[in-house]
Amino acid sequence: MKRRIIALLLAVLMMASLCACGNDADRDDGKKILRVAESFAYPSLDAHKEYYGWYTSIYGITEALFAMGDDSSVLPCLAEKAEVGNDGLTWTVTLKDGICFSNGTAVTADMVIKNLRRAGEENIRFAQFAGYEYTAVSDTALTIKTSDVYPTLINDLASPEMAIMDLDATTDFDSAPIGTGPFVVKSFEPEGTVEVSRNDNYWGGDVKLDGAIFYYMQDDESKLMAMQNDEIDCYTSVTAAAKEIFDASPDKYTVTDIPATRLQFYMLNQNRLSDNIRKAINLTVDCGAIASYLNGTVTAAVGPFGTSTAYGKAVKPAVDTTAAKAAIEAEGYTLGSDGIYQKNGQPLKLNICYYAARSLDSLALLIQEQLKAIGIDSTLTVQEDADATYVASGDYDIALYCMIADKNGDPYYFIDTVLRPDGYWKSAGFESTDAANLIAQLETETNTAKRAELANEIIQLAIDDNAIGCVGLFNKITVAAKGVSGIYETYPFDFYRIGANTDIV
Amino acid sequence: MIIVIGLSFLTYLLMYISPGDPALKKLNAQGITVSEETLAEARHDMGLDKPFLVRYGQWLAGALHGDLGNSYKDGLPVAQKLVHALRYTLILSSASLALALIVAVPLAVLTAVRKNGVFDYIVRFLSFIGNSMPNFLISVLLMYFLCVKLKLLPVIADESVRGLILPCLALSIPICAQFIRQFRAEILEQLGREYVAGAVSRGVKPSVILFKNVLHNAAIPILTIIALSVGTLLGGSVVVETIFRWQGLGKLVMDAITARDYPVIQGFVIFTSCVYVLINLLTDLCYRRLDPRIEEV
Repeated sequence: MKRRIIALLLAVLMMASLCACGNDADRDDGKKILRVAESFAYPSLDAHKEYYGWYTSIYGITEALFAMGDDSSVLPCLAEKAEVGNDGLTWTVTLKDGICFSNGTAVTADMVIKNLRRAGEENIRFAQFAGYEYTAVSDTALTIKTSDVYPTLINDLASPEMAIMDLDATTDFDSAPIGTGPFVVKSFEPEGTVEVSRNDNYWGGDVKLDGAIFYYMQDDESKLMAMQNDEIDCYTSVTAAAKEIFDASPDKYTVTDIPATRLQFYMLNQNRLSDNIRKAINLTVDCGAIASYLNGTVTAAVGPFGTSTAYGKAVKPAVDTTAAKAAIEAEGYTLGSDGIYQKNGQPLKLNICYYAARSLDSLALLIQEQLKAIGIDSTLTVQEDADATYVASGDYDIALYCMIADKNGDPYYFIDTVLRPDGYWKSAGFESTDAANLIAQLETETNTAKRAELANEIIQLAIDDNAIGCVGLFNKITVAAKGVSGIYETYPFDFYRIGANTDIV
Repeated sequence: MIIVIGLSFLTYLLMYISPGDPALKKLNAQGITVSEETLAEARHDMGLDKPFLVRYGQWLAGALHGDLGNSYKDGLPVAQKLVHALRYTLILSSASLALALIVAVPLAVLTAVRKNGVFDYIVRFLSFIGNSMPNFLISVLLMYFLCVKLKLLPVIADESVRGLILPCLALSIPICAQFIRQFRAEILEQLGREYVAGAVSRGVKPSVILFKNVLHNAAIPILTIIALSVGTLLGGSVVVETIFRWQGLGKLVMDAITARDYPVIQGFVIFTSCVYVLINLLTDLCYRRLDPRIEEV
């Protein structure tokens, strides 16, 4: 019996030893294969649909006419330049010479036009491109005639959904699109693992990696342990706890931490809160303390955009609880024996609505505590679907929300969505003729510097009116094993990961 | 059939009255500013502007012809998504159940036979711990010790046997712990019966009493416990599937609930209710096979 048990144990150990053998056959052959964990994966690689283009860009398969820089500027990519004519509607886009798809076919103006039209037809966010007039001036130049003045055309052409694919040669858009990027699809598992290999025909020169594997891993602990176990080489969205662990081993890991574009903010309901109460709230909420509590995963925000951008220059008053209390008292409230302000026997009690994602649950608790410290009581109301509930109904005093404020290096998207009177957040009751006029100007202004100036003015109006409170910009935290470079870790945008210069030594 | 249709109606009703608009959710997910016209158009395209009973009737008519509709999220046929996920769930759940049974049955027998002995106390203590620990904790602990510390297994699971080991262990441990306690209790109850004392007094060998009489008589309650576990396992495990990147049913339906993907949720409900009905039927048939007196009743 004992012999049988020993034999069984030995068999288990042998199996375990076999299991311990690596699965990285390509790496064992000396190839440079980067292994990446991604928190999202999509069912298709059709870059024009939904947000799938973000991931074909991350995988290095597709590129757009323009690209975003790490300072949120728009840079040439497949296109050399785009210039608008005197009518303000006709743009001439000039392609770079020698651009080709991964199958070796040259990228022509005709193919670019087909792509822009298809992106417009397939993607509701870019529907305008389906209706524009296009003309191929030559093989490498085309004109786009827009129906209205379109100041952010180049920014939108830098969106990864506006990728240029070989529409004639691609037979399976879902799993094998032919793009211009430095990598081509090797294998694709819908909502699973994606493997890419080097594009030997890459127009941009040598590609340093032989390939890459992208593992779909949602769980933070799994990513941490896969990194510790040397099964992946890098990933982003590192949690605060994991960051501490990686920071403790600087000889093994490089951690990069930059403010990105996802904003935590709250809207103050002007239909329910007076000027003084809104002022008191904004003077009380301490974004620095909140960022500190969230342990480095967010950077305290002033306005909705990073302060390094030209349109992120708005200012807000420093935390001042004495002034906050004075504002409440000016409203006729007196401090009760329970430490809560009251008027006519009614306590000052607010309804804070939030949804349990992007640390908004922690944010709600921290704001509740900070408000209570100066005498404002509050209840927390959690909703699973903010858009269908409190954003639509206006049943809130303070509404917490999180969104990407800067999608493509321009402030218009956030301002149009959040601050336009009678817009998506009309339930907050922010009404300002000045802001409405400035937003109308921003819609058509083509000068980048002037756009930034207008954006700063609009945001300042909203801050001064205590319509909004910007709390934190999520940091993009990337960890990479020593020797990994060029993984776009300093870019605030989420849609870049590997390129021709990505390397592992 | 009535049970399945009743359940599908209840689920449809619950989704209908729960807050959240699938059309708005879909449009918001695409990052556009949603106007009332766009929302109305999307609701029309998705058939959400029709009265509840009409929608349910159309869905039911399709389902009865094998058409469970298309996912709101990615437009793929629901049946295709379910079949894809089911493959993973079947592999994981059958392996986990087999492992749990292989470990639990002998341990339950041994602990019952050696009641209040050292071995019994150790197994009961371990099964108590296994029962108490949530899946996510077991998963993370297994990953930490077997992958990071001992380097025996990979964190990143694939479809191979070695990729299956960790998720299988994570699912098996609590089931196994539960089986040991429940099987042991059943066997102990049988051991206390008069027919056992009679057989002992007649000089029947203890092994014969145990394997031919006690285990046979304990089989029906044990079968019930196993059948209940099969149903639960086939419903998928969100936590284990998420941690180990296993594309099973649990994760599929959780993603569908988050996205208000009604067709997928409905398809899942139909599938799981059919599984439960089928398992109950099979269990009943097994009862009759094990104890012919049941048929007579």
